[in-house]
Amino acid sequence: MIVQQLERAAPVTTAKRIAKPVEWGALHTAPPKPGRLVLRNLSKRFADSKHAAIEDIDLTCESGEFVVVVGPSGCGKSTLLNLVAGMIRCDRGDILLDDKPITEPGPDRAMVFQEHGLFPWLTAEQNIEFGLKMTGVPARQRRQLVDAALRMIHLPHSGHKLIHQLSGGMRQRVAIARALVLNPAVLLMDEPFASLDAQTRTLLHEQVQELWLQTGKTILFVTHSVGEAVRLADRIIVLHSNPGRIRREFKIALPHPRDFDSPEVGDLIRMVRKEIEDEVNRANAEQINGQ
Amino acid sequence: MDSDSVLPRDGTADPVVRPLATADEGAHSRPHRTKWIKILLVWLAALVLWEGSYRIIQWKSWQFPAPSHVVDATLDMLGVRTYFGDPLAEGWPWQRAGAHVHVAAGDAKLPKAIAVSGVRLLIGFSISLALGIFLGMAMWTWSFLDDLLGPLFLGLQTLPSVCWVPLAILTLGINESAILMVLVLGSFFATAIALRDGLRTIPPIYERAGLMLAATNWRLYRYVLLPASLPAMASSLRQGFSFAWRSLMGAELIFMLQNQGLGFLLNIGREFADVAQVVAVMIVMIAIGMTVDRWVFAQIERRVRNRFGLMAAT
Ligand SMILES: Nc1ncnc2c1ncn2[C@@H]1O[C@H](COP(=O)(O)OP(=O)(O)OP(=O)(O)O)[C@@H](O)[C@H]1O
Ligand SMILES: [Mg+2]
Repeated sequence: MIVQQLERAAPVTTAKRIAKPVEWGALHTAPPKPGRLVLRNLSKRFADSKHAAIEDIDLTCESGEFVVVVGPSGCGKSTLLNLVAGMIRCDRGDILLDDKPITEPGPDRAMVFQEHGLFPWLTAEQNIEFGLKMTGVPARQRRQLVDAALRMIHLPHSGHKLIHQLSGGMRQRVAIARALVLNPAVLLMDEPFASLDAQTRTLLHEQVQELWLQTGKTILFVTHSVGEAVRLADRIIVLHSNPGRIRREFKIALPHPRDFDSPEVGDLIRMVRKEIEDEVNRANAEQINGQ
Repeated sequence: MDSDSVLPRDGTADPVVRPLATADEGAHSRPHRTKWIKILLVWLAALVLWEGSYRIIQWKSWQFPAPSHVVDATLDMLGVRTYFGDPLAEGWPWQRAGAHVHVAAGDAKLPKAIAVSGVRLLIGFSISLALGIFLGMAMWTWSFLDDLLGPLFLGLQTLPSVCWVPLAILTLGINESAILMVLVLGSFFATAIALRDGLRTIPPIYERAGLMLAATNWRLYRYVLLPASLPAMASSLRQGFSFAWRSLMGAELIFMLQNQGLGFLLNIGREFADVAQVVAVMIVMIAIGMTVDRWVFAQIERRVRNRFGLMAAT
């Protein structure tokens, strides 16, 4: 069976990949980082809320694995990502990146935000360069990395533009480049394409997949879209809400890029969708009973 | 892949936007120009009517001046004596014809006064800005300080700046520092409050993005929060200037110091019952205030807002 259903799955090595040999120039000279992310018994409850936003989550993202988190609104997806990013502190549990505990935000866990979060006072290339500057990369090397990144996101001639002069899709690509030039061990993406139209989304899916296949980064990706999840993921995590726990995991062993006309993909989409709908219904029922 | 148009959507985005923008401009420029011509004509007509009524009925020019009297007074303060306000007779406007009298001068008081006021403004506004920026940022950073000072500053901001004059006289005496005190106290609350309010509108995502990109500690302030606060800074600067200018003029009007600023000239006009000079000085004050606001602070604000893609709001 291609689609395996795993409850609290033990870590499995990643799926088969089709790697296209493309040279990204300076970006390639950066030594790859393993990026094995381990969450153990992770819990977080915000003050003044009844349920924990995240409760006892155990999750291991293997090096180079593409993990997608889905679930109903408010189930704790962003909280999970923010915990890993170090933006908020957990109450209990550990987050280990390559066996080192995470305590604060840092460039080894670069994040792509839903609302891009690019700096409007800088041009596109200055935005991409920003993290390199902060980490003390010399100017010449920065220049090379930025050029390579601009080529990688297919925007080689838009580097001089200000952020508001870029389209929504271009902004998200710049945000991805800004994260990638830092050569992070893990790339965190919180609904990065939620505000884009369908065509742009599809294009960016292709580009993200291409980038992922090229760079072999570990990616933790949050989305509302089942299609997006099935297109990109090695593993899909469906979250349970109130408290935020792992409800179910889908391990997907289909090769990338995926054929959306194939029956396996169709089955998978239906299964994941069903799982989320069940979760939404359960959460709604609970809320009605609780009142 | 040597072009950005690899992605069809980006390729089409520009051509769609640009023609729209230029079409917009083209449609606007013509009505825009005729609008200004109309405005100018109406003002000109009003001036002619005003001047004409003086000429015909010889109205009391010592209570309210005709435009020509104001021109005379202005040139007089620039050290040029003219008699535009006199009846049209031989030698007009260079020779006296009628009975109209104003303070004899021949001394270029106006440039000196502008220079004196300018220096005071520069010094006072710098102090006020430094204080305002410091306190605005402090109030934004420490909420306790904000709770403590916020309401107080809002209250003090409503106090007309000349109300500081008696206090300044009693504490510092009649001297330059007292004028500066009025200027600073009349403007820095407004700067601080405007800056704090502006800083509050900085999206928290910039801070998170900065931290993620390794901008820690002072770097976060220097490379993220400071630039992110530029729009707020620009508007508080503008706000602060208008308060500072008004405070200074008010203070100069009351303080009679040796160094004579614009406000002093206004008061001299009153003392000598020279209504033409009073109006002339008022016009100069308005002109300077407006020019600096428009050509310095509004420009700064516009540039910053443009850069941030916030669309100019002047
Ligand atoms: N800063 C905060 N303070 C208090 N409660 C919070 C905070 N952030 C999130 N929460 C709560 O934690 C829960 C999870 O929020 P989170 O933002 O992680 O949801 P999400 O899964 O990302 O939702 P969405 O899909 O709508 O983005 C919600 O109930 C929310 O109300
Ligand atoms: Mg979210």
